[in-house]
Amino acid sequence: MSNARCADMIIVGSGIAGSSTAWYAAQKGMKVIVIDKDGVIGNGASSRNGGGVRVSGRLAPEIPLAKYAVENIWPNLADALGVDIEYHKAGNIRFAFTEKDLPTLETIKKTNAAYGVDIEIISAEEAKHRCPYVGDSVTGAAVCDIDGTANPLKTTLAMYRAARNLGVAYYSGEEAVRIETVKGRARRVITASGNVYEGEHIVLACSYQARALANTVGVDFPFRQKLIEIFVTEPTRPMFDFMFSAVGASGGAYGHQTEHGSFVWGGDSGHEHHPIFEEDAKCIQPTASAISRGTMTYFPALAELKVIRTWAGWIDLCEDLVPVIGPVEEVPGRMVAAGYSAHGFCLGPVTGKILAECAAGETPCVDWKPLAYDRFRSIF
Amino acid sequence: MVKHYDLIVVGAGPAGLSAAIKAAECGMQVIVFDENHRPGGQLFKQIHKFFGSKEHKAKIRGIRIGEELLAEAEKAGVEVSLDSIVLGLFNLKGVSVMRNDQIEHFRGDNVIIATGASENVIPFEGWTLPGVIGAGAAQTMMNLHGVMPGKRILMVGSGNVGLVVSFQLLQAGCEVAAVIDAAPRIGGYGVHAAKVARTGVPFLLSHTVVKAEGTDHVTGVVIAQVDDHFRPIPGTEKHFDVDIICMAVGLSPMSQLTRMAGCKMVDNGGAVPEINEYGETSIPGIFVAGDVAGIEEASSAMITGRIAALGAARRGGFLQEEDFQTQYRQCLDSLNQLRQGMFCKLNKGRRDITETDEGYPLSMSLLTKGYMTEEELAAIPTVDSHDCGIHPVIECTQNIPCNPCQEACRFGCISVGENITRLPGVVPGSKCTGCGMCVANCPGQAIFLVNENYEEGFAAVTLPYEFLPVPQKGDQGMALDRSGKPVCDAEVISVKTSKSFDHTMLLTMKIPAEFAGKARFYKPEKEGK
Amino acid sequence: MKEYLDRTMDIGPYVPEPDDDLIICRCEEITRGEIRKAIHEGMFTMTEVKRYLRTGMGLCQGQTCGRLVKQILEQELSKRITPEAENTARAPMRPIPMSTYGKEVE
Repeated sequence: MSNARCADMIIVGSGIAGSSTAWYAAQKGMKVIVIDKDGVIGNGASSRNGGGVRVSGRLAPEIPLAKYAVENIWPNLADALGVDIEYHKAGNIRFAFTEKDLPTLETIKKTNAAYGVDIEIISAEEAKHRCPYVGDSVTGAAVCDIDGTANPLKTTLAMYRAARNLGVAYYSGEEAVRIETVKGRARRVITASGNVYEGEHIVLACSYQARALANTVGVDFPFRQKLIEIFVTEPTRPMFDFMFSAVGASGGAYGHQTEHGSFVWGGDSGHEHHPIFEEDAKCIQPTASAISRGTMTYFPALAELKVIRTWAGWIDLCEDLVPVIGPVEEVPGRMVAAGYSAHGFCLGPVTGKILAECAAGETPCVDWKPLAYDRFRSIF
Repeated sequence: MVKHYDLIVVGAGPAGLSAAIKAAECGMQVIVFDENHRPGGQLFKQIHKFFGSKEHKAKIRGIRIGEELLAEAEKAGVEVSLDSIVLGLFNLKGVSVMRNDQIEHFRGDNVIIATGASENVIPFEGWTLPGVIGAGAAQTMMNLHGVMPGKRILMVGSGNVGLVVSFQLLQAGCEVAAVIDAAPRIGGYGVHAAKVARTGVPFLLSHTVVKAEGTDHVTGVVIAQVDDHFRPIPGTEKHFDVDIICMAVGLSPMSQLTRMAGCKMVDNGGAVPEINEYGETSIPGIFVAGDVAGIEEASSAMITGRIAALGAARRGGFLQEEDFQTQYRQCLDSLNQLRQGMFCKLNKGRRDITETDEGYPLSMSLLTKGYMTEEELAAIPTVDSHDCGIHPVIECTQNIPCNPCQEACRFGCISVGENITRLPGVVPGSKCTGCGMCVANCPGQAIFLVNENYEEGFAAVTLPYEFLPVPQKGDQGMALDRSGKPVCDAEVISVKTSKSFDHTMLLTMKIPAEFAGKARFYKPEKEGK
Repeated sequence: MKEYLDRTMDIGPYVPEPDDDLIICRCEEITRGEIRKAIHEGMFTMTEVKRYLRTGMGLCQGQTCGRLVKQILEQELSKRITPEAENTARAPMRPIPMSTYGKEVE
């Protein structure tokens, strides 16, 4: 390609954050290009997460975004995208299975209350009543009614489909290797194959890779990568529809039953923090066993369900466990949406909306400043 | 706890067992996992005699080869772990296994993946109905469990699998309505086709299945001729009443473990790992052998298994370079013998081969109908020496890698030569005693003893016979020609069995002399019955 | 899978064909027509078709339909699907009950 491909906005990363940004920006009439180093759309965390769409249990700086997403975006997303993304606002129940985990439930209630998110603490008996399948060792639970689940695979691809229908140009298998500035503005993205993409706005929605790209224009964020794993079971009869998680959990820590009837169950064995580094996220030997044990402790009735498939993904873990979102003032024209620290699926669409609004010079629907990249200046 | 082995082999089929035996002989500590209750992979379903030469275990039935391999594995000290499902191939050549309802983690300094292949399907209307089965499933039912898959079968696919399984279905007592193939030529060996055709099974080339009929199971099938783009031609539909549609439409390598491990994949009749000449993938220490590396057959699988084992043994320091080279050369020579002839991988799908290596015309009838015409046979001088009295007629007219006939004749009457894909021929001046060893030992059942002067006005034809019930001397029946058409009455004048024949009977029938060149099969019933 | 793909390419609209009601993925009961439609909606790789429709996500994990989906993609896109772009393979190779998976030999 001799000439640069030009657009108003160049987005690096075709996952839910990148495609949402593209979709919202295209709705505003912007010409948008999305490139992705992978040949498959949204092949990172967007397609590997557990499908939680929740506000509860989030850290304070990101709660306003999550709340906005759950109240204003997710309920209408299927209609807007024209694809059944299997969104169910069936609540999130966070179970405690020891006495010492009970105070954690209270902390979650308090954190959320400050942002107007209501969490109900229920007794062990009530927990058993709401979900007869939960194991007898349950000691209590925190319920957040506005939380839910969606199918991340379909949502991510539906977002891509919708953006593409609005004329967004996608080029997959195009690895961005550096950003170039023109007269102080970030304008160009150069790919490994030597192609040049040029635009007014450059959006880095490419998880951990955003760090290396940001580095090419002298900006850094404290991200690292962590491997996490999930498995899916064979389908079974409908048993419960809420998002499950366990506080202080090990093994099978979170999951839900999908519309399809299968259970998507995530967790870890404690060995994932230091995987042998490979670009492709790969499961390690002990994890599925650990998730199985955890799951059986929490839901003994699931013990005979067969595990069909396991997979792994990278979390772009930010030092303070909340994402970096918004324009980068030091380098005008550059925006970032990364470091989601395992919360990116729920937050992807709202992030896209915010970035599109920023690019269009509009007032963003939610104040993104608490998640700005420059918050790390003052850590110490 | 993670258990370490010098070599972990996944799959106890011909490739895996051969690899494990060779590696153990080199001094490696080897464990073989197989998900089945019995080892041997597909070998125990292969009740037919194999091709090749002696070193390839030619003329031995697959089941016996399986037994031999097991005995060798035991002798070599190979640990064969059955009912053991390998869940995955992880980092650091980690192999996790489910056995005894538990999970065990292993690591191998080397891993050989020999998981074989799975059957392809073609979709058509009704293909999900019960009664549409794979040829492998038919073999499993018949040859492992003694169950007839159905009464009347349409075989889809004329490759060696389709041909061999059609014959086995006939042996099991099923009727084969037809063998069809979308290709314009029969894909498998002519000798395999011929033994099916002579029982009366029609071959319909350039035909495909349009639909399976039936509401809750197959009750019939509609097929049609296809055009050059394999699309059905309207108006050419044909119906058959069948209760089974058996698909033998190719195999795909089961290369999932190598893909999971991250080996670089390439196309070789399906996705397979890219390998070097020793079967080693892009990940050092992960090897493949057998069909996982590309579909061949059991005989070459055994050799690629040994080659992978040699590679692993060298890598692990169990084999010095010199020993390695010597043994590798031997294996390679043996493998190259099998990888020759008109059916070898290099020639797959070629339609422009019209002559044998010897320059004789290839039988087009054999390639499209499954049998040769008398004129075509007459054009190939190696078929019949036209000696007086009893003599072999060798209806082996394609260059396939096989030579047991040469070894079978103790009197040196038959010669193939160094190159085992050459056509066998009668050695000029040699004297046939009529012992029938060539007839019994030919894996293609392509050799007949013909005595035109058996009695005044009568000839005797001796043919290989592998059907039950065993005909008795004095039985009256029909002689069928190569297309399965009844040609004359026949009287059984002898039925010979011997341990060395390994269940192939030599049936000699007396027929009117003028049919000596036509009669090639015996049907134990009279015409019109 | 790192292959370059220009997704602005025009493969034309989805046009129904007579055998669109053929089931291709038996486990999840996905038809040829659904697969063709998804491709025309932009699902240009086996993985995307799988994630969008569930082809190959059932008990057999694509053992049966993988080849068929690949052929349909090749037909609709008029290009070869390379081995690298075929379905991924993941543990467990056979379905395993959690009760067994959870029991690791010490």
